[in-house]
Amino acid sequence: MALVAAGTVVALFVAIVCGLVVGPTSLPTWRVVGNIFAHVGIGHNTLTPLQSTIVWTLRAPRMVIGLLAGSMLAVAGGTYQGVFRNPLADPYLLGVASGAGLGATFAIIDISHGNGTPTWTPLLAFVGALGAVIVTWLIGGRSMRSNTSTLILAGVAVASLLTSAQTFLQQQSSAGSITRVYIWLLGSLASAGWGTVGLVLPYVVVCIIVCVGAGRALDVMSVGEDESRSLGVPVRRVRFIVIAASSLGTAAIVSAVGLIGFVGIIVPHIVRLLVGTSYRRILPISVIFGAAFLVFADTIARTVIAPSELPLGVVTALIGAPVFVVILSLRRPVAV
Amino acid sequence: MSSVELVELSVRAGAKVIVSNVSLAIEPGTWCTIIGPNGAGKTTLVETVAGLRRPSHGSVSILGESIADLNERERAHRVALVPQHPVVPAGMSVYDYVALGRVAHHGLFHPPSAGDRRVVESVLERLSLVDFRERDVATLSGGERQRTVLARALTQSTMVVVLDEPTTGLDLRHQMDLLELLKGEVHECGLTIVATLHDLTLAGQFADRLVLLDGGEVVLDGAAAVVIRSDELAQRYGMALRVVDVDGSDVVVPVRHTPHVNGA
Repeated sequence: MALVAAGTVVALFVAIVCGLVVGPTSLPTWRVVGNIFAHVGIGHNTLTPLQSTIVWTLRAPRMVIGLLAGSMLAVAGGTYQGVFRNPLADPYLLGVASGAGLGATFAIIDISHGNGTPTWTPLLAFVGALGAVIVTWLIGGRSMRSNTSTLILAGVAVASLLTSAQTFLQQQSSAGSITRVYIWLLGSLASAGWGTVGLVLPYVVVCIIVCVGAGRALDVMSVGEDESRSLGVPVRRVRFIVIAASSLGTAAIVSAVGLIGFVGIIVPHIVRLLVGTSYRRILPISVIFGAAFLVFADTIARTVIAPSELPLGVVTALIGAPVFVVILSLRRPVAV
Repeated sequence: MSSVELVELSVRAGAKVIVSNVSLAIEPGTWCTIIGPNGAGKTTLVETVAGLRRPSHGSVSILGESIADLNERERAHRVALVPQHPVVPAGMSVYDYVALGRVAHHGLFHPPSAGDRRVVESVLERLSLVDFRERDVATLSGGERQRTVLARALTQSTMVVVLDEPTTGLDLRHQMDLLELLKGEVHECGLTIVATLHDLTLAGQFADRLVLLDGGEVVLDGAAAVVIRSDELAQRYGMALRVVDVDGSDVVVPVRHTPHVNGA
């Protein structure tokens, strides 16, 4: 466990440095590292003003939003897998993705005569994401006495309905709008600035603390609802709190960077294979591993075909799937 | 004061009455087994005692306090449950699984204290599970697994333990071993046991008191030796039963209805 934790922290540090150093403009690694330390009062800055601007205005906010998105999606995925006792659960299970997609589509096609993505897209995506989860909960949350399958099925129904509505809106809009919606749906950190970081940070920090804090409760809940209650766990309250925190954090991230797939489902599984089945270990390691993973993926996404970018969701899948298969073949798979 | 007291308890599942107007007072340090044919309401009754089902009428009190007034954690301090089909999470060690019984004591946001760890160690030792402590619970045999589930319940350090068919899936020796272990806990720690059992011989040999349930109602309630020899028992099970004395222990033997064969 200590080895895995140390390795993950090293990976995070390397990812942060890559996120700042690697890009179309080549920057000297040690000077960038020196510049970071100089910002916290250690040593001197040796970067030129232009280089410093590239680091702190372009790359750092993008890297930070990558850290936040990766950690939030990974911990939300791990939490969902624990609370639903379902290895296929991911942060989009209860309709966050389709709700955000509909909200964003509504915002984008609303200015069909314009060319850009309107500034209120994140707000409508956020409202759509949260609205979808609330509707799912209202439909399926009451009948969760013996299992959570009703809630999952309600999520499937709500997601299908919202996706249909989104498809209808797209069909009624111009080709340009459809392209912009499609780009948004693929997810990207390209437009992230410090303003985005400031908007997302409070949600993500609070939600990650709640999810990681629920690790011990999720461990107990692995014996099922009735047994957990007999052991003293207020299962329904814990379930509501962790689902609310995971969904809120995911909605905040999705509204800021679009739909980034794969991180929320695969990162917790990779971590589980490395550290075992206890959520007290899986969730904190997933926070760090998810952050490192997404920043690495974004570094690749923005450099491989520079100056163009690959869709981030495509890169996360291209890297994550082989890594997962390799770890899976090396270790005995363990249950959720 | 009774350890467990049920007053005019009724439990419904939708419109169907599963348990009807049951009143029982179970004394501390005694073993009460609920018997009855399939569908009699045994599991519903013990789940209600464990606080997992809400009564539609009447009340359940544990050590003088109504469980309706207790939250999950307070309830877990008073009554522990050994379910009929426990969920055994793969990848969890025997030690970690047994230690789940201390969650109500140290809470969800604190690690187990030295005292909690001592209780776990003590129970592992008493139930001969020390050698299995690092084993994955999912890899245990049926007997080892049932002992581990019992260990988790005992680790809760409650005065009342509820068991729903704890011998399900065990061979004869492991059934006896498990019930002997439990009997030892009743004698040594003064536990109150409320159990359901299908095997009438084991029910009669281990319980101090038997309660025969049929159609959700109590039809017989008394000392094990008396209930086991009652004609009512055979009627309620709808079959012929013979009680045989073997070395001072009652053994309940089902008698097969042999079809009359005509010589012609």
